[in-house]
Amino acid sequence: MAVVSKSPDKEQDMPRRRVFSWLAGIGLGGSAALAAVSDWLFFKPRVTYGPSARFAIGKPDDFPSGTRISRDVERVCIVREGNRLAAISTTCTHLGCIVGISDTGFSCPCHGSRYDQDGTVTGGPAPKPLPWFKVSLAPNGELEIDKNITVDPGTYLSV
Amino acid sequence: MTTATEDRKAEEHKTEAPGLWDALRHLPANVWHSVFRNPLPSTDLGRASTSFTNFFLHIHPVKVNKNTLRPIYTLGLGLISLFLFLILVVTGVLLMFYYVPSTTQAYDRMLDLRGTVAFGIFLRNMHRWSAHAMVGVVFLHMCRVFLTGAYKKPREFNWVIGVVLLLVTLFLSFTGYLLPWDQLAFWAITVGTSIAAYAPLVGKQIQFVLLGDTTVGQEALLRFYVLHVAVLPGLMVLLLAIHFWRIRKDGGLSRPESSPAQKPLVKVRMDLQKKIYGLQGFVRGPFTKLGNVPDDSVYSWPNLLMAELFVFVLTVSVILVLSLAFSAPLEQPVNVMHPPNPAKAPWYFLGLQEMVSYSAFWGGIGVPTIFVLLLLLAPYIDRSPQGVGKWFARERLLANTIFLTLAVLNVIFIIIGTFFRGPNWTFVSPF
Repeated sequence: MAVVSKSPDKEQDMPRRRVFSWLAGIGLGGSAALAAVSDWLFFKPRVTYGPSARFAIGKPDDFPSGTRISRDVERVCIVREGNRLAAISTTCTHLGCIVGISDTGFSCPCHGSRYDQDGTVTGGPAPKPLPWFKVSLAPNGELEIDKNITVDPGTYLSV
Repeated sequence: MTTATEDRKAEEHKTEAPGLWDALRHLPANVWHSVFRNPLPSTDLGRASTSFTNFFLHIHPVKVNKNTLRPIYTLGLGLISLFLFLILVVTGVLLMFYYVPSTTQAYDRMLDLRGTVAFGIFLRNMHRWSAHAMVGVVFLHMCRVFLTGAYKKPREFNWVIGVVLLLVTLFLSFTGYLLPWDQLAFWAITVGTSIAAYAPLVGKQIQFVLLGDTTVGQEALLRFYVLHVAVLPGLMVLLLAIHFWRIRKDGGLSRPESSPAQKPLVKVRMDLQKKIYGLQGFVRGPFTKLGNVPDDSVYSWPNLLMAELFVFVLTVSVILVLSLAFSAPLEQPVNVMHPPNPAKAPWYFLGLQEMVSYSAFWGGIGVPTIFVLLLLLAPYIDRSPQGVGKWFARERLLANTIFLTLAVLNVIFIIIGTFFRGPNWTFVSPF
């Protein structure tokens, strides 16, 4: 593009040029924004290849009343009290370690966060309580946990 | 063997060429002089041509200010960073020939480096120690530049690029940390990416995109690998090129203002002036000008080059000795069900982790963001032109005090996180 020097008042006579400059700028800027959004979408996987967030854990009878079993592979703790059942996350809300079951609830071996039986923080650096996951009964009678859906603490499934 | 070619060559030059025998006799010399156009210089003109006719040398100015060569001024920290990066590129590319970014194979390949690959463990040691050293030296380089006021006009933007280079260095080191796929790697990256997840609104998303999954696994290993061997080194090289180019365009390294009255003007031969500095006459800016300023400069060849060679040999020697003496750690293979106690991030993020143990958001995101913003904006906040080119200049007492306080605090937090934190992140004494 040729660059022609011109006087300021001449510039005012040429609003068309300015409009086109603006349009070009908006076009290029918009394209850049679009590219950024596309990149983000590309890098955010639609499927993940790791362990599934939705999985079956067996029949309710496998978990007698009073059970507190930590499943370290799926990182959930299955809790059964009477005929009520729930799944509490065992991923520490502090920095992602796996919490262990202790007498008073849960405790994290990495940085000493402590939680009570319901996953409420009772000490240490953890900023948030352990989330509870949705438990449902599949048609084949198996319990299914969906880690994508969190429920309010204290929400049990009656079995 | 190549008689046909030589015959043809000889025929082509028949009119002026001496015979084939002469061509053969002078062949080595002719090849040599076609590659190296100038003989080793013995005159100033020759010294100047050496710098600007050689592809690898013409990144240097023909002459540099004497202050640039004072070891006590720069401590050679920028150069050391560059040479460490070069060592990392060379050893890194070599390691790539034996590494597979797969959760089932990566750890075995680490063992193979130890057991079967010739010099495998030695290369890995060099790569590991250079990486750690580079994080430290780049940080020290930043301290040097700040404490000598070298970020001031016209070098503001080069300082900004430098801060970005520090961040790229940290991220390069962090992505490399995962690749051995041992317990240390896995839990350090779990902890490190969890710190990123504390960012408001987008934190979880950033962690997800970084890991390619909700937890550290095969996707994370592949992503970190590609970032580590392609994306970040590419970005680094680009930024380094701009960083170096701007040193030249900003008038060389910072230095105290010279006092024109005291030193005699230098006499320059007219042809020299014309040949070397003719073009620069058109360019505005604080260039070394011959003939009209006191001559505080010396020829880059051999003064600057010898200094660079010295720093290079020193850097390589130290890394070689370190790699012979100490082996890079390799822990047990990844066991996703058994976090070590305590699980620690890489040492340069332990200051962050220490702060995270007080307040998740402020320690992990708030304070670091403010730190980085302050660094980026420093040359635009501190506009006073005074105290450039001098360590701890009196005029810069306030700025230097603030910077040193923050830098020392950072180091103290890292030391606490590294040595004084035991199981359950409780305070322990390392002694």
